[in-house]
Amino acid sequence: MAVNTKTPEAQDPQPSSAKCGCQANEEEMLRSLDTVIDGFIDTDGALVPILQTAQNLFGYLPEKVLKHISLRLKIPYSEVTGVVSFYSFFSTVPRGKHVVRVCLGTACYVRGGKEVLEAFKKNLKINVGETTPDRMFSLEVGRCFGACGLAPVAMIDDDVHQRVKSAKIRDIISQYQHEGEDVKEAR
Amino acid sequence: MPLQKITSSQELDRIKKAVLDARAKNAAQKKILLCAGAGCIASGSLQLKKALEKKIQEENLAVEVVETGCLGPCAQGPVIVISPDQTFYENLKPEDASDIVNEHLRKGKLVERLVPRNIKNDKPVLKQSDMDFFQKQIKIVLRNCGRIDPLKIEDYIAEDGYQALAKVLTSLTPDEVIKQVKKSGLRGRGGAGFSTGLKWELTRKASGDVKYAICNADEGDPGAFMDRSVLEGDPHSVIEGMVIAAYAIGASRGFVYVRAEYPLAVSRLTKAIEHAKESGLLGEHILGTSFNFDLEIRMGSGAFVCGEETALMRSIEGKRGEPRPRPPFPAQKGLWDKPSLLNNVETYANIPMILLRGADWYATYGTEQSKGTKVFALAGAVRNTGLVEVPIGTPLGELIYEIGGGIKGGKKYKAAQIGGPSGGCIPKEFLNVALDYKTLEELGAIMGSGGLIVMDEDSCMVDVARFFLDFVQDESCGKCVPCRVGTKRMLEILERICAGEGEEGDVEKLIRLGLQIKETSLCGLGQTAPNPVLSTIRHFRKEYDQHIREKHCEAGVCPSLVRAPCQSACPAGVDVPGFVSLVGEKRYAEALKLHRERNPFAAVCARVCFHTCEEKCRRATLDDSVSIRGVKRFMVDQEVIIQIPEVHHHDQNAARKIAIIGAGPAGLSCAYFLARLGYRPTIFESEPRPGGMLVQTIPAYRLPRETLAREIRMIEQLGVTIETNKKLGQDFSLQDLRDKKYDAIFIGIGAPESFGLGVAGEDADGVVMALPFLKQYNIRGSVPVGKKVIVVGGGNAAIDAARTALRLGAEQVTVLYRRSQEEMPAYEEEVRESLYEGVKLMPLTHPVEILKTQDNKLSGVRCMTMKLGDYDQSGRRRPTTDGADQFILEADQVIVAIGQTLNPGRIFAMKDAELKMTTNGFIYADSVTGQTSVPGIFAGGDVATGPWSVVAAIGAGEIAAVGIDQYLTGENHAFWREEKVVDTDYDPDVDPVPYPREPVRSIAVEKRKHNFDEVELSWNENVAQRQAKRCLRCDYGKSVKRRGNR
Repeated sequence: MAVNTKTPEAQDPQPSSAKCGCQANEEEMLRSLDTVIDGFIDTDGALVPILQTAQNLFGYLPEKVLKHISLRLKIPYSEVTGVVSFYSFFSTVPRGKHVVRVCLGTACYVRGGKEVLEAFKKNLKINVGETTPDRMFSLEVGRCFGACGLAPVAMIDDDVHQRVKSAKIRDIISQYQHEGEDVKEAR
Repeated sequence: MPLQKITSSQELDRIKKAVLDARAKNAAQKKILLCAGAGCIASGSLQLKKALEKKIQEENLAVEVVETGCLGPCAQGPVIVISPDQTFYENLKPEDASDIVNEHLRKGKLVERLVPRNIKNDKPVLKQSDMDFFQKQIKIVLRNCGRIDPLKIEDYIAEDGYQALAKVLTSLTPDEVIKQVKKSGLRGRGGAGFSTGLKWELTRKASGDVKYAICNADEGDPGAFMDRSVLEGDPHSVIEGMVIAAYAIGASRGFVYVRAEYPLAVSRLTKAIEHAKESGLLGEHILGTSFNFDLEIRMGSGAFVCGEETALMRSIEGKRGEPRPRPPFPAQKGLWDKPSLLNNVETYANIPMILLRGADWYATYGTEQSKGTKVFALAGAVRNTGLVEVPIGTPLGELIYEIGGGIKGGKKYKAAQIGGPSGGCIPKEFLNVALDYKTLEELGAIMGSGGLIVMDEDSCMVDVARFFLDFVQDESCGKCVPCRVGTKRMLEILERICAGEGEEGDVEKLIRLGLQIKETSLCGLGQTAPNPVLSTIRHFRKEYDQHIREKHCEAGVCPSLVRAPCQSACPAGVDVPGFVSLVGEKRYAEALKLHRERNPFAAVCARVCFHTCEEKCRRATLDDSVSIRGVKRFMVDQEVIIQIPEVHHHDQNAARKIAIIGAGPAGLSCAYFLARLGYRPTIFESEPRPGGMLVQTIPAYRLPRETLAREIRMIEQLGVTIETNKKLGQDFSLQDLRDKKYDAIFIGIGAPESFGLGVAGEDADGVVMALPFLKQYNIRGSVPVGKKVIVVGGGNAAIDAARTALRLGAEQVTVLYRRSQEEMPAYEEEVRESLYEGVKLMPLTHPVEILKTQDNKLSGVRCMTMKLGDYDQSGRRRPTTDGADQFILEADQVIVAIGQTLNPGRIFAMKDAELKMTTNGFIYADSVTGQTSVPGIFAGGDVATGPWSVVAAIGAGEIAAVGIDQYLTGENHAFWREEKVVDTDYDPDVDPVPYPREPVRSIAVEKRKHNFDEVELSWNENVAQRQAKRCLRCDYGKSVKRRGNR
């Protein structure tokens, strides 16, 4: 149930905007949010789908976004945050460009998922729920991605890495790190 | 291109026929079915697809690569099937594409290196249907998974897809549909197993115009991936099932609630819904009838509790997914307070087949109470992990060993966890249990959604219970108190136990809390949350007690109790990483000293130990375990003058009288540790030479006599007196010792009696027991040996007897064992060496009669061939026979080695006290102190445990020594139990050394076959150094409190 609460620079108003790759300002942000909300205007129980889409768009759900959703849907802000805090998928703080989720489902757990998690913590030098200072990686724990036949697994963004060995974590991370450097150079 | 709208069942038939005709025309045309389930994608199947397509294009072949859903054997991914040949290729890499295209597709030749091999005979398996993994499966739910392109609706139609819907809409009334479903006996596959037909009927009968049909695809149980695979591999089967359900209950709108963690399933289902809408199979006027049904997807947001029906509906409503009390049940008041039907993915996927083939057909599968098939997600420590579908009632053992291929890495089965956080663990005693709703419930587990996680001996059951409780505690929505607070309290207790701070009574507290939470929680989550704890307590109570009382985690898992898994696995608690790393720095004397802190018999164990430490070695996950015994062997060979360990002199202790009965490993070890505390115990030994089994039965080619004698002399030098030829029950009694005012007595007489065969003719001359046979040779120096010798048994004594007989001139030695070779309890390396030396092994053979001549001389053995039947209490297959295959083996000597026991008779008799015995007939001794039921009398080793290992006896001797000291002084002075800090160099950031494991060398067979020279050789220093460096130093940076009071 817990939403990620700990992360450095939690107050940073700018979205990490990993997905769209642009630095949207507030106005643009709310404008695109309106488009999202309009898309769900005929949907019953639209709050959750809207929050999901908004989170995909901004990478996280800042207060401004939640307030705006509350106003548009005429749902009390308290109810909106109640829903946001209930589901672990939602985050009210920015996350890293890449979200590492180490599976600690049963199959992964009995096949050494704990050691894999420790290795990620050690290599990224962060704890679960935190983001690296360079905003490249967030570390989370997953509860089964349904790839139990290939345990232990870790999911980085949408890629499932199978039969992860703690000794090889550095190689996995560096694949994503280098990808990051290319982006920096391009800018 | 938009899909054609299908407006009648005739049109549906036309499309089906068109696809089938086109297929028939190209029947010989090769096609590659490539598994694109999430598992195989993670293994790289999409890269493989690219490589295949590129190669096919280069070669100008007209071969289509079809992305299908999950084929099943996820661990072997990526996998493909080439049709129509049915060739199954596994573990593919993009580089393999060229061989497949050039050899198989162009030349029609099998690429042998890429096909699976039969585990039994190592032959390549040519067809998918011949694979063990598939042979025992019956696929109803997974009928299309791996066979069709899930994104092509016409592929589904060609496989009779939507035919059931057409039949229902054109010829059946809703009541008739419900009748069929009820008759089929289908029960909800989501967990609780409620009758599906009944649920439909209740929803149909509920009053209201608006009703909903909902599919639960929030497969939140960790370890379950059946629903994901169905949605990915055959989404239309779920859609069709839902439309039929909607028709039956009278709903016009439906939802599929899918987990956000399954992006691929969501995207495939989304496309399938679009296609079904375009084709007129969803939406208005389905198949040209007046029936309308619309389907939407709603994604979960990561809350396990939303798998509960009322919570799921609230979540669809856009609210916090908290459950509410029932009644009213969703059938009356569900989504937006309207009557709603909720079934899970697998349940819906069954529906089309039931209506198409009839309820009677479906009911032919399964058991009396539970019909049909069940899909299981097989994961954990089995070889063939993946998705399997079997008739309900299939025995668990069959699923694990036949389909799953047995336990990975030759380890032993410990338990299967069924039903996720709501389920329970099933131990090896119940491998025969039929997997159906009722029997599982009786065992404290549940069928659940079908996650089946197999655990081997490396799993700690207390930790597993803690894990599940941590999960449910975290996922508890917090609405009701029993679940929110109760699970938290249970978790705290479990965490304490795992941290080595468990207290007596904790287990009872857990049971009480668990039952209370089950009874009083609001929803299914809380009502089942204590199950994993209660079931592990029920089946593995011993492990809880070990954690609480001995502060010991045998599996080597709980971090606070485990410094290194090898050390935890060692019954004597030897600091393995410590001595191995000291050997790595050539500090042999220090290494040996460290070893003897916990185990005086370093040189003995370097030769005869069964090294459980190596089985737990973490290096095995990288390549192979460290050869700990090999390193030890090199270490002990460097000792020139035997060292004397640290001894605390103590005049008071020296004056106390302590008697130890039996100079075997347990008694000698007990004496050694007592002597180090300043005691001067006396050992009474029945034989002329001390050493017990070490000297009486273990042959000199395994353990040279001088090696043993040296370590026994060292113990004597510490102030231990050994009196030989003093037999308990004959030369003295326990009462005598008590009369002579001994302050404490330790009994370590082993399990000296042999089991007989119990068959006719056993009294023939020439039939001997293994132990007397070995003892006579080892102690007296000679024993009569036949020419044609048959040894019966599969343990170490059997192999020792066989090899001894061979060395003493037997021409032919045959070992008969009633189970299979893999199941022989003898050490694998001993069996292997005996075969090299010419011993003949006949597994699955059992003697039924000893044949003799008129003058009572042995002439032969009538044997029977055995087959492996169902599973027995030990988790092994029971050897059975139909009595048909009998044959006679000639023999002039039979050595019986089928087991040892203790026949106490009157030997423990005392005037006013009696020793309590265990149910197995051995002496009861406390696991922490070694004390028996009589104060002042202690016991350990085989006499207390039944026949076991040398090192276990050594460990038991140490425990009793500490127990005796505590009994006499009231304090624990076991200074050797303090962990020593080993100052060897270790850099945790450096990659592990790449050297492979080196086998232990042995002398050539010709040179050893006829003598008793030691068979094994030591390594040279270079090899030993490298091997020692392979240690990953699991102990690094860890300081674990000394092992409690143990």
